[in-house]
Amino acid sequence: MPTSTVYSEEELVQLLKQQSRDAFNYLYKQYAGVLFGVINKVVFDEHTAQDVLQDVFVKIWNNIDQYSPQKGRIYTWMINIARNAAIDKLRSKGEIMKGKIQNGDDIVNDVQRGMKTEQVTDTIGLRKMVAALKPEYEVIVSLAYFKGYTLDEISKTLDIPLGTVKTRMRSAIMQLRQGFNN
Amino acid sequence: MDIKAYIESGTLEAFVLGALSQEEEAKVRADIAQYPELAAEVAIIEDAMYQFAVAQSVEPPAGLQEQIWDAIQPSAATTEKTGGSTIRFTPSYNTRWNYAAVWVALVGSVVLNSVFWYQNSRQKQEVADNTAKMEKMANEQKILTALVDNYRKSKDMMADTAMQTIVMHTMQKGHSMAATLYWSKQNGDAYVSIDALPVPPSGMQYQLWVMQEGKPVDMGTLPVAMANTPTVQKVNMKVMDGQAFAISLEKAGGSPTPTMDKIYVMGKPA
Repeated sequence: MPTSTVYSEEELVQLLKQQSRDAFNYLYKQYAGVLFGVINKVVFDEHTAQDVLQDVFVKIWNNIDQYSPQKGRIYTWMINIARNAAIDKLRSKGEIMKGKIQNGDDIVNDVQRGMKTEQVTDTIGLRKMVAALKPEYEVIVSLAYFKGYTLDEISKTLDIPLGTVKTRMRSAIMQLRQGFNN
Repeated sequence: MDIKAYIESGTLEAFVLGALSQEEEAKVRADIAQYPELAAEVAIIEDAMYQFAVAQSVEPPAGLQEQIWDAIQPSAATTEKTGGSTIRFTPSYNTRWNYAAVWVALVGSVVLNSVFWYQNSRQKQEVADNTAKMEKMANEQKILTALVDNYRKSKDMMADTAMQTIVMHTMQKGHSMAATLYWSKQNGDAYVSIDALPVPPSGMQYQLWVMQEGKPVDMGTLPVAMANTPTVQKVNMKVMDGQAFAISLEKAGGSPTPTMDKIYVMGKPA
């Protein structure tokens, strides 16, 4: 990530609680791209995605007191806010979730499209890692992470046993972990 | 508890991905609080998923940062207000009133901003809801228009007092079949219903005939989907004269003359 100062999690939380313009600028610079990426995976309309991103920052800003380190990493907390806001927006718009299931090709296209439009050098290696993920893994991770599907819904949608869904989740993330560590 | 099996089950991954039910999630939270090994594993999974998210990041358009900051302002201003500030010097009577007026105006403005901001976000939500509703209504209207069109046709047919109903009876011994023809000799309109005919075998189709001067004249083939359903279809020709009507089973597309042993039903007008 292109940045001059990097704060630790505790420092970031402290900074946000001050509610200063600097805190906002840092938050935006660090996380707007990631959150916007997550939102764009859920909603496909550019304008809607921008609205959701705004709502998400307002929510993070107003609810920072509700975050506690016991809940997990701060970015997991923020990504969850983004994901849930985007899914809520999608459902309130009456779009049919089940129609949005991506197949392996779509996902590969998404990744390739991302590689074309994004020039951030730091993320190229990461993108390659994700692109290397087996399609049957990628589908499960995407359905859960970006579409808010539960284990049960994934099992029914893809017609594979619940236990298999869980072990594939494990294998997928193990593959990502190994890739990111190298 | 077998921590290793727990970790390898994929439950923690499902937890981080948000794929568990609320009950399961609460249980995992309790387990994490109890076993540090689980908490450590969850942290690693979270890091991996963060990298996954970073890999898919998309830069928002320029200008959005300013716009979002503007949207955040009302709530930021409210916070500053509650933080409070103290005025140390003793102001004159007049100045005190001025300060009071400024504070009233400031607090009023902050409150109003919050109200407007809240209203604005609610209205945006309402617009989205209404758009969805209107799309739904437009679809329903399309369906209703088609239905009304159908009813209008049946009504025209019923309203025609010259219309006579001709029941065509089975010509195949041992098979009870029937079909109905509605015919107005005055204007030549004819309608047919084959709700009491079996669905034709594949590659076959029913064909309607009228006997004019002793010869069968083709009135057209009937869609396979009409059989065994209460559909009434208008015949695509004017029938000014006829001694009898018949339906035969023919190969798909119809025949120039009816296959005699395949005439299923026949009826005569009054």
